[in-house]
Amino acid sequence: MTTAAHRRKAMQEAGFNTFLLKSEDVYIDLLTDSGTSAMSDQQWAGMMMGDEAYAGSRNFYHLEEVVKDTYGYKYLVPTHQGRGAENIISKILIKKGDIIPGNMYFTTTRLHQELAGGKFEDIIIDEAHDSENEYPFKGNVDLDKLERLINKYGAKRIPYVSIATSVNMAGGQPISIKNLKEIRALTKKHGIRIIHDMTRVAENAHFIQRRERGYEKKSIKQIVKEICSYTDGATMSAKKDALVNIGGFLAINDWDVFEEARNMVVVYEGLHTYGGLAGRDMEAMAIGIKESVSDDHIHARVGQVIYLGEKMIEYGIPIVRPIGGHGIFADAKKFLPHIPQVEYPAQTLAAEVFLDSGVRTMERGVVSAGRKANGKNYFPKLELVRFTIPRRVYTQAHMDVIAESTARVYDRRNKIKGLKMVYEPKYLRFFQARFEQLQ
Amino acid sequence: MKTIIEPFRIKSVEPIFFTTKEERKKILATADYNSFRIRANDILIDLLTDSGTSAMSSNQWAGIMQGDESYAGSNSFFKFEDSVRSITNMPYIIPTHQGRAAEKIIFTILGGKGKYFISNTLFDTTRANIEFSGAEGIDCLCEEGKYPTVPAPFKGNMDIEALRKVIKEKGTSNIPMIIITVTNNSGGGQPVSMQNIKDVRKICDEYNIPLFIDACRFAENSYFIKLREQDYAQKSVPEIARELFSYADGCTMSAKKDAFANIGGFLAMKDLDLAIRCRNLLIITEGFTTYGGLAGRDLEAVAIGLQEIMDENYLQYRIRSIEYLTNKLIEAGVPVMQPAGGHAVYLDAKAFLPAIPVEQYPGQSLVCALYEEGGIRAVEIGSLMFGKYDENGKLIPAQMELVRLAIPRRVYTQSHIDYVAEVIIEVFKKRKELKGLTITEETPLLRHFTAKLKPFN
Repeated sequence: MTTAAHRRKAMQEAGFNTFLLKSEDVYIDLLTDSGTSAMSDQQWAGMMMGDEAYAGSRNFYHLEEVVKDTYGYKYLVPTHQGRGAENIISKILIKKGDIIPGNMYFTTTRLHQELAGGKFEDIIIDEAHDSENEYPFKGNVDLDKLERLINKYGAKRIPYVSIATSVNMAGGQPISIKNLKEIRALTKKHGIRIIHDMTRVAENAHFIQRRERGYEKKSIKQIVKEICSYTDGATMSAKKDALVNIGGFLAINDWDVFEEARNMVVVYEGLHTYGGLAGRDMEAMAIGIKESVSDDHIHARVGQVIYLGEKMIEYGIPIVRPIGGHGIFADAKKFLPHIPQVEYPAQTLAAEVFLDSGVRTMERGVVSAGRKANGKNYFPKLELVRFTIPRRVYTQAHMDVIAESTARVYDRRNKIKGLKMVYEPKYLRFFQARFEQLQ
Repeated sequence: MKTIIEPFRIKSVEPIFFTTKEERKKILATADYNSFRIRANDILIDLLTDSGTSAMSSNQWAGIMQGDESYAGSNSFFKFEDSVRSITNMPYIIPTHQGRAAEKIIFTILGGKGKYFISNTLFDTTRANIEFSGAEGIDCLCEEGKYPTVPAPFKGNMDIEALRKVIKEKGTSNIPMIIITVTNNSGGGQPVSMQNIKDVRKICDEYNIPLFIDACRFAENSYFIKLREQDYAQKSVPEIARELFSYADGCTMSAKKDAFANIGGFLAMKDLDLAIRCRNLLIITEGFTTYGGLAGRDLEAVAIGLQEIMDENYLQYRIRSIEYLTNKLIEAGVPVMQPAGGHAVYLDAKAFLPAIPVEQYPGQSLVCALYEEGGIRAVEIGSLMFGKYDENGKLIPAQMELVRLAIPRRVYTQSHIDYVAEVIIEVFKKRKELKGLTITEETPLLRHFTAKLKPFN
């Protein structure tokens, strides 16, 4: 626990950016669910079974087998984390001038596409941009938007469609199997690949089980495998679903792409049988993947998020509906309607929640969206603060504290003032940008 | 006491698996005669690399349990930063998932077409990263470093005159930095003297070129300085290490070597502007600035390992065990690099297998023979690793054809080493029966990792 004075000083030193806080000044850390999970006793036992051989470690073969069994992809290239896989697949598949349609951008994914010479085009359904719309599958692709892009640019300029399960920037919103099947049919017709951003595929599977007809009786494991079957390959940050603190991979069904990826991984990550990971981390990942598709685990996980969301709704706090799988996304435009988007309402709200109780959250709005190639700011429709729940780390009592603190901030919302940016880095500015409070 | 014992006892053991010679013959063929392609379970003694293969201490494992996995501002990062700073005295410390990622970042920023990076000898991944950026790497190794079997105390030294010549030829503005690799891995794990580092520093000052240290094996190099260089016998290894870093403007480090870690690395530097540019790139390919693609627990393990590695009892045992194996081989007449290096024994494959021409990769042939004979995995550091082709597709061979037997830190005991010596000597006796190899498949960069070969007919 810290005092209000201590928190104010810490926030000022951090330039009103929660990324720049020291973890020891944080009481409950909801910055991200990435790499912050608690591992199980089985995973810790696996950590002790690490085979640290530089080449051909048995942990690699275990991981390869588990990825094949759980997700069904043929070939595996491990990477130190998800962005390592994004970097490689973008460099292999994207040529200058290519278009990459996707169901809403994600910060690092879009950047890798742009650095490889491509351009991201959003094809998510319009409902996703409306925080109050209760549509059950707000991660779905608008097939008309996709078809228009194909007609406009031609299939040759679209190396792949990037499909995220549990769309992060939309508030952890799922995509349906029905939609996936339709995207598959359309892309097949044009010979376009689908690359799956699968970091929260199990959480997406939970919503399919709950909401999609015909899937009520299927297990999470079955649904996960079916989701993957409609795609040609995937990038995975195992730091989310797969319950590890570090690790990721690229999985692909195409041998030629695999061969190229295996050669490239050596330059960026490490030899293809360790990909920049300790052997023990591959072992923890293999075990974590198996645990991640257990029905009991995923129900408890998403159940906890929903518990927190419902509490916030009771307090009248405006949040993205329906509640997503990995966190609560407060709608900062509605929370702080008097602060215009150029004064960073979500960044402001994240700072205020920290000042109230030491709860650390993350901005997912105009700061995260960054700038276009022409230097102009992206102004996303959604200006959100993400309360991300690490897996298996916090208890219900922690959830109560979070909701109560946010409610206190909500009560004094009219007194809150916006921010101005005083330092802006070139790439992914949200990580290191600094702000000052407006008077 | 005459015998130098391991300064530790063993708390946790990991089984190794035995195979027969017949089984190994088949395994070799399945692995296309490339030791990188053999499964670790099929290896009896793994001397492929000393990178990431160390045994961690009980203290490091305790650190592993204390990892703070916060995405930003992790407490483990601050411990890591303190530990690195205490040795390098550099203000800006940037963690990376391993050494090549640190190199990747620095060469992406400073490299590019028309640029030259000069070094005593660049290691394979370092060179690959430089070339990937479009730049070129130039080695200026001292003359005595080029003759494997001629002993000299500091065979990793830079050739100062050659360095000056290259600078004049290429032009100061085309040389973004000079890199000293300690110890000189490709050149046999041979140390660089403090005097040589000072001399290079002088040249760097004269031409206003930054000096970076490739610091993977800084502790082993510091210990050699203590043993072999005048005026350093009374100094402690941490003092020597701090002095070594004091001459540099920055360093890259693979913590998988001289920090006893299974994963990890870092960049450290004095220049704030460069650090900001590095951090911007770091976030794209590695991770946020306070974790750099590492779990918090790994930052802890590196922080602790960096301090443990400078223990002189450990370094004495470490250097002595390499020397022990080298001496055994010399007694049996096996051509080895002399004097013994810091982390590995290097066999001179050209002298070992004079009948096999370089186009048939004598080093790789020897690697295969060691595996077949005794299940030992070594690595070729010769024309398979460094060879290139001229415009007619003819092989431009490497300067030396070496086979490296890298000794993982704190992993094997003296009886393992005795066994290794027996196997090598046995192969030496049969050397006339060994055949060359030919490449059937390869990639343009770092081909040795994945290349396929077959016996030459």
